[in-house]
Amino acid sequence: MLNYFYRKLSLLFFITFGVTVFVFSLNYLFPTDVLSNMSGITNINEIDYDVIAQKYNLNDSVFTQYFGFVGRLLDGDWGVSFINGTSIFNQVFRVLPATIELAIYALLYSFIIAIPLGILASSDKHPWLDKSILALSIIGFSMPIFWLALLLILIFSIGLGWFPTSGRLSLIYNIPSSSGFLFLDILRSNIDYKSEALADAFKHLVLPTFVLAAYPTTVLIRTTRQSMKDVMNTSYVKAAKIKGLTSGQLLRRHGLRNGLLPVIQMLGIHFGTVITLAIVTEVIFAWPGIGSWLVDAIHQRDYPAIQGGLLVISGMVFVATILFDLLYMIFDPLARRHGHGKI
Amino acid sequence: MRLLDIRNLNIELITNDSTIKAVESANFSMKMAEVSGLIGESGSGKSLVAKALVGMLNNRWEVTADRLHFMGQDLNRMSESKRRKVISDNISMIYQEPRRCLDPTSNIFSQLEESLPDYEFSGWFGAKKELRLKKCIRLLHKVGIKEHEKVFNSYPHMLSEGICQKIMIAMAIAKEPKLLIADEPTTSLEADTSLKVIKLLKSLNQLKEMGVIFITHNLFSITSWADSINVMYCGQLIESGLTKNIINSPKHPYTKALFDSEPDFNSRDANNKQKLYALKGTIPTLQHLPIGCRLGPRCPNAQRACVKMPEQQKVKGQFFRCHYPLQQKPLNNNWKKA
Repeated sequence: MLNYFYRKLSLLFFITFGVTVFVFSLNYLFPTDVLSNMSGITNINEIDYDVIAQKYNLNDSVFTQYFGFVGRLLDGDWGVSFINGTSIFNQVFRVLPATIELAIYALLYSFIIAIPLGILASSDKHPWLDKSILALSIIGFSMPIFWLALLLILIFSIGLGWFPTSGRLSLIYNIPSSSGFLFLDILRSNIDYKSEALADAFKHLVLPTFVLAAYPTTVLIRTTRQSMKDVMNTSYVKAAKIKGLTSGQLLRRHGLRNGLLPVIQMLGIHFGTVITLAIVTEVIFAWPGIGSWLVDAIHQRDYPAIQGGLLVISGMVFVATILFDLLYMIFDPLARRHGHGKI
Repeated sequence: MRLLDIRNLNIELITNDSTIKAVESANFSMKMAEVSGLIGESGSGKSLVAKALVGMLNNRWEVTADRLHFMGQDLNRMSESKRRKVISDNISMIYQEPRRCLDPTSNIFSQLEESLPDYEFSGWFGAKKELRLKKCIRLLHKVGIKEHEKVFNSYPHMLSEGICQKIMIAMAIAKEPKLLIADEPTTSLEADTSLKVIKLLKSLNQLKEMGVIFITHNLFSITSWADSINVMYCGQLIESGLTKNIINSPKHPYTKALFDSEPDFNSRDANNKQKLYALKGTIPTLQHLPIGCRLGPRCPNAQRACVKMPEQQKVKGQFFRCHYPLQQKPLNNNWKKA
């Protein structure tokens, strides 16, 4: 177990190394001046140039520059933005919680919806249920989410007026930001209108969560259905059935544990896709997360900001993938067995 | 009252373009606490009969029977859930592939524990748990596993095939069933333990009045203690009757061939480099069954009438399907002693 954990950590180390090398090389690949890309300061005059170049090791070899770059990353000195001159590190970690929040709620929602539907669809007793769930999931799978988002806004926000069209919280509520996670902040703050603020935050969350969850839900439904079908047909489940277990016990003790293993794996694989979709969703709903922030940075050619955003998003995907892998290993004794020659 | 009474059991495999009859009109009956052997080559449908009996086949198989009585209850006329209850309370099975019948993600103790019946243990929660643990340990000791602690905490992939087999046996006898179906229970065990297991089953049969269907292709392990023997070939029960009758005067040429093909090391007149007897040919696949008697092409004394399927006949309590039943005694006389 520890051995496995250690191997995963070393994998994380090497991936991080690769990504930092790539992000560092972007300094040279972006069209503007190298020193501007590194520091984020535009139009450097000649007097300052030498001082700043000294700080960023520009006169030394590329390797020294790289190690200096990594050192600054660890210190939290990620340069400043071209546009407003504020620290990129602060900006990134101010918008990141909103994205994590959205992604986690969407995954949670899809998990809660997809697993029971997948199990229902896997049962042989109701073929019509299977067919209708599968049809729904194919519709969800093939529908582009930017279109789905606009459609939902048209119906539920503009037509029915149930949910707000954009944003994270109505402007009339002033919530002091401490952790960046909105629900946590509201609960921790000492304001009089807590329940109203919570309700408003929830209303803002509904549409983006639903849109973002559409893709993982459909994938999970299909994975769950197939793997439950396979598991319920194995000899050990049938043998357990003959032991006299009820259908509920059968599902709880043998079906779910074996059937959900591929689902966990699938979640890990699709986390990257979910983050990509989160960027699209954030732009449409003007959700103040890292996705819309990064898209703004790209529009404005804010090169230091693009580097920072890239680093954080890829780091988030790696960490999540490795967490899902560890989760898989905890549930599957067979995965623990293959100690060697496997990552 | 009969323990089991089956008439005209058909098992069909439904494929996309055709249905294949895997087992055809098998009749089978057992008295209470009887030991019945089911013998045949691999692929002859022995395991299918057993699996159909406990309802383990998936919905690609269609099982039909004119009569399916278990301890006087008609299983055919019961609802699905009632039938499942009757079967799980009274019948248990030792499977052929032990490791595939154990859940790979839960440990041995929880799997063994769940095969204990609920009603047997009374008392408050903690005491009940203690009793169940003790019972599980006793069961493992019974089948010859001494390190119960180690085995309880292991997962199936950590254990050898033989130990998995023993665990399956422990699970099967846990609820002291009225009928135990043992599908080649001793194939993956060492000779010593296999004898012990058979002894254990024998004693359960005598003390707890447990009926046993013993499926095997090893004749020696069955002739010494089975009350009756059923021989299957190509999905048909070709001969069944009391063990001593079958040994002394098999009516069907296939039964005789089965007995003859077992080399006889006891008799004095075994010559050096003597050719061992074997029936010519191989068992046909179910898609390419011969017309008429299924043994026809391989049968040493096939004649013209064998192109027609022989009906089941009964002579002195011995059922067989053959146009020309054998009259003489078999060459090997050592079966009498067994």
